[in-house]
Amino acid sequence: MKFTFDWLRQFVDVNAAPQELADRLTMAGLEVDAVEELFTGLDQVKVAEILAVAPHPDADRLVVCQVAVGPETVQVVCGAPNARPGLFSALALPGAVLPGGLSIKKSKIRGQVSQGMLCSERDLGISDNHGGIMELTWLHESGVDLVQALELRDTAIEVDLTPNRPDCASVMGIARESAAFYGRSLQPPVTARDIPRLTGENCQFSVTVLHEDCPRYAARLLKKVKIGPSPWWLKKRLLAVGQRPINNVVDVTNFVMLEYGQPLHAFDFAKLGGGAIVVRRAREGETLTTLDGVQRSLAPDMLMICDAERPVAVAGVMGGANSEVDEHTTEVLLESACFSPLSVRRTARRLNLATEASYRFERGVDPELPPLAMERAVRLLCQVAGAEVADNGVDWAAGVKKNAPITLRVGRVNDLLGYAFQADEISRMLSAIEIEVRPLENGDTLQVTPPSFRVDLEREIDLIEEVARLKGYNEFPQTMPLVPMSAAWQDPARRLRQDVAAAMTAQSFFEAINYSFVNPRHLDMLGLAEDDDRRRTVQLKNPLAEDQSVLRSMLLPGLLDNVRRNVNYQVSDIRLFETGKCFVPGPGLEQPEEKTCLTAVLSGRRLPGAPLLHTGEEKCDIYDVKGVIETLLASLGFSAVVFEHSRQAAEPYCEPETFARISVQGRDLGCFARLTRKALSQFGIKQEVYFLNLQLDSLLAAAKDSKQFAALPKYPSVRWDIAVVVPEQVRAGEIVEAITHSGISLIEQAELFDVFRGGAISKGMKSVAIKVTYRSAEQTLDDETVNREHQKIIDMLLNRFGGQLREV
Amino acid sequence: MEEELLRLQKEACRDLAALQDLKDLEPFRVQYLGRKSEFTGLMRKLGQVAAEERPRLGKLANDIKVDLEERFATRKTELEEAARLEASGISTVDLTLPGRTFPIGRLHPVTQVMEEICAIFEGMGFGVAEGPDVETDFYNFEALNIPKHHPARDMHDTFYINESLLLRTHTSPMQARIMENRQPPLRMIAPGKVYRCDSDITHTPMFHQVEGFLVDRKVSFADLRGVLGVFIARMFDERTAMRARPSFFPFTEPSAEIDIACVICRGKGCRVCKQTGWLEILGAGMIDPEVFKQVGYDPEEYSGFAFGLGVERIAMLKYGINDIRLYYENDLRFLSQF
Repeated sequence: MKFTFDWLRQFVDVNAAPQELADRLTMAGLEVDAVEELFTGLDQVKVAEILAVAPHPDADRLVVCQVAVGPETVQVVCGAPNARPGLFSALALPGAVLPGGLSIKKSKIRGQVSQGMLCSERDLGISDNHGGIMELTWLHESGVDLVQALELRDTAIEVDLTPNRPDCASVMGIARESAAFYGRSLQPPVTARDIPRLTGENCQFSVTVLHEDCPRYAARLLKKVKIGPSPWWLKKRLLAVGQRPINNVVDVTNFVMLEYGQPLHAFDFAKLGGGAIVVRRAREGETLTTLDGVQRSLAPDMLMICDAERPVAVAGVMGGANSEVDEHTTEVLLESACFSPLSVRRTARRLNLATEASYRFERGVDPELPPLAMERAVRLLCQVAGAEVADNGVDWAAGVKKNAPITLRVGRVNDLLGYAFQADEISRMLSAIEIEVRPLENGDTLQVTPPSFRVDLEREIDLIEEVARLKGYNEFPQTMPLVPMSAAWQDPARRLRQDVAAAMTAQSFFEAINYSFVNPRHLDMLGLAEDDDRRRTVQLKNPLAEDQSVLRSMLLPGLLDNVRRNVNYQVSDIRLFETGKCFVPGPGLEQPEEKTCLTAVLSGRRLPGAPLLHTGEEKCDIYDVKGVIETLLASLGFSAVVFEHSRQAAEPYCEPETFARISVQGRDLGCFARLTRKALSQFGIKQEVYFLNLQLDSLLAAAKDSKQFAALPKYPSVRWDIAVVVPEQVRAGEIVEAITHSGISLIEQAELFDVFRGGAISKGMKSVAIKVTYRSAEQTLDDETVNREHQKIIDMLLNRFGGQLREV
Repeated sequence: MEEELLRLQKEACRDLAALQDLKDLEPFRVQYLGRKSEFTGLMRKLGQVAAEERPRLGKLANDIKVDLEERFATRKTELEEAARLEASGISTVDLTLPGRTFPIGRLHPVTQVMEEICAIFEGMGFGVAEGPDVETDFYNFEALNIPKHHPARDMHDTFYINESLLLRTHTSPMQARIMENRQPPLRMIAPGKVYRCDSDITHTPMFHQVEGFLVDRKVSFADLRGVLGVFIARMFDERTAMRARPSFFPFTEPSAEIDIACVICRGKGCRVCKQTGWLEILGAGMIDPEVFKQVGYDPEEYSGFAFGLGVERIAMLKYGINDIRLYYENDLRFLSQF
């Protein structure tokens, strides 16, 4: 809602600066978005009279004007088609800097001196009219400052209205609030006393309301209307709040709507079939071309204003072209009505049509307002369009319901607000904004009747808010609630996510957060099969863009986009992780399943950010990813992690040789791998990327290792090494496993320390070296005992893997 | 005699200083201090000098001997220390070289601030619960007193999935979800992602909120002010002024916007606070009786307050971030700053 300070002051004598008023409004719940001085940059612009116009000797489209500015005459070159002798217009003198930034200087245009510029309304920042220089036909004196002559000095104030305060969608509404907090009286231009009785008798037209969605309908007929441009004072008000003047009749309806908050509509009476207004719902198959030139198909739940046969306006939303006021109009039927908020909103939504009128009706227009606003508009039309008002009019108000009184308990006010109001203080505050208050007998209860314009006040709680607002929210103390102590519930899923994040950051990963909606093409880029489950995505009905149109079914693509971005910005050593939800569509209209996942990507140097001096340029590899998972799971309390390498099961975007699934306690958790070049190139990445993915929900369901103390060993251990040369296809891990699960006694640990190919080792073979730790719980081991067990291991390995012992 | 002694002392000192290696020590000792050394020879000749000169020269010779022995011992220690350092490789230490760090990563700034917010409320006994991102129209709107066709729906640019599902536009649905399953007293916060179809320099279509509420008997607006005052003092600092302004949310009444004195200019007026000296940081209010009725609480018996804060906005204020879009580009040059 935009209004001007000067406009407001016509209704209430506010003796404060615009910014101070704005601050007061903000603190009263009418948040001011902007305070803007209007029509600035016109200091050096004067009213000027064109005395003579001569063709420019060297330019067909230009003329040379002799222009009077007070006693002086100056020469100005001009290109406007409407420059003519006797016209008063606006002249920007040298030194002026116009609102668009244009600096005016004395200059020569094609050899002719020009001592200023005759300006269009657009040049002056007054309107977007650039069809010619501004015509100030009602002025008769040149040399005056334009700002003074047009009374342009004013400040626009824009309020961001909350939906509960439609009464403030008007200058009157803002004035009423201002009057309350400045303690002034409101001076409306028309009061209830001014309104003639509208009986509907002997009218030239009829009004029939057939639906309850229209509680009130007032109409009057105006004759001898002369359509034409509005006077400047009226145009100025509309322009100041960003509205475009159209003609005097339309401008008056818009002006009164801004002033009172009552949308009005003017019909060309000659175009209304049967001289009738019928308010009814649309019939199946009816259409209406609205004033914006769009033909609308109407639905049977839309409320229409019709003449005897056909719709002529969408009630509360927009008029129809078939009854539009135009330059030939001489008789105007003026409508001032109320419509049900729900009905207007539904219709406006359905037609995808939001207007100043629908904005107000959707939120609720004061049902007592139509006759007042009508009277104001009628008087203005008589003034600016030479109209004559017909004797009688219609004010059908059978649907208006009076606001019911509300019981307000002082004790309840004090309990909810944490304050100690007395009944009389509450009465005083509410009365200041025209709310009627009557104390009931016991003194602690008030009977409150809100005025008709406060459509938001229906319940006791609405009044309690009003009391708090009028008192000022910051007048209330700050106290701490007295509640029973309790142990707050802890969400295990949230705890797990926090632990995962801690373990990942400890391993030098940075956390990423990507949008939950992604590009559906991601799944093609990864090469997922047509029947892959992850292609069943949850789709948005109204995405902002195609690349944000489905909810993600995996986190990896988002992170790959992040890798590309970072590499493009020359950060190519990357460790990023994200914990977030993946979405699986539910059956029918049910909510999707939301699965929390962890995905991490590694690329570039092994330890990004570590000093090059110590770590060199060495790149990360598949063992880095595996290590991250091992460290992560160990830190979360899962030691028995199984990695199952499977070429066959590899995801299409993974190098099969590097792909493994991860499980604990037989529960599949996810996978890790190096991404294929092909998949990476789809994401525009040229360097190797490794990733891991874990289903955190599965992890949450798995049982953590129990922490159980084991007595510390009493006797020392002995460490002996074994190196065996085995065929390449034997996996080193199988050898370690064979040792630890051999059942051979005294083995405490077996650890790989070297895998070696080449040198003396024949092709197709490799040397695997293992350090075995022996320990007894009963004694210190001697060489003979250890040797016996060690030999058993050697025999077992050679027997099982067909290798040979390598001397170390 | 005297000249010879002094010459020997001078030569010995010179040679000792020139010694660079432990293995050269012994030859030096033999040469100057050994039994067959020239010095020992001179000492033996002391008996031949005139008796009146003998005590003086004897003392001189002895002083020189003691001096040389001390110098030798010092030099030996020096050379041994040098050898030890060299053997350990420590002699090349340069403490201007970088430490062998194991770099740690960081949580996203939004997560950091969200955790900080949660921790403050957890410290006041609030529990933490999270809900679904894809919410029903019922919980997102209807249960919060925003029926279909309510103009307040214009305040939420909603992403829809189908006629009954949407991406939650706030974390407030958790109020209804929690209240319908539990009885007061309740104090909970609900952090999470929320979505609005709006994207420009000040809006991203996904952002984070923390919703909070407290319900019990006789909870008042003053209590709301008290709890939020504690939050602001902890989140910013004790001196940060707070103000409440009337506002409108369909699920609270009275409703308030809470501003804090601008953390950049301390309330004097700057670009960040648009010269007002105040920054809007959260919305709050007393839970509307209609919301209580929806979940089966008697609004005459219970009252409560609720609040919702935007995490990105608070992170921007705390860290001076000037462009909201940076949050979701995951540029490591950005992420590593926090």
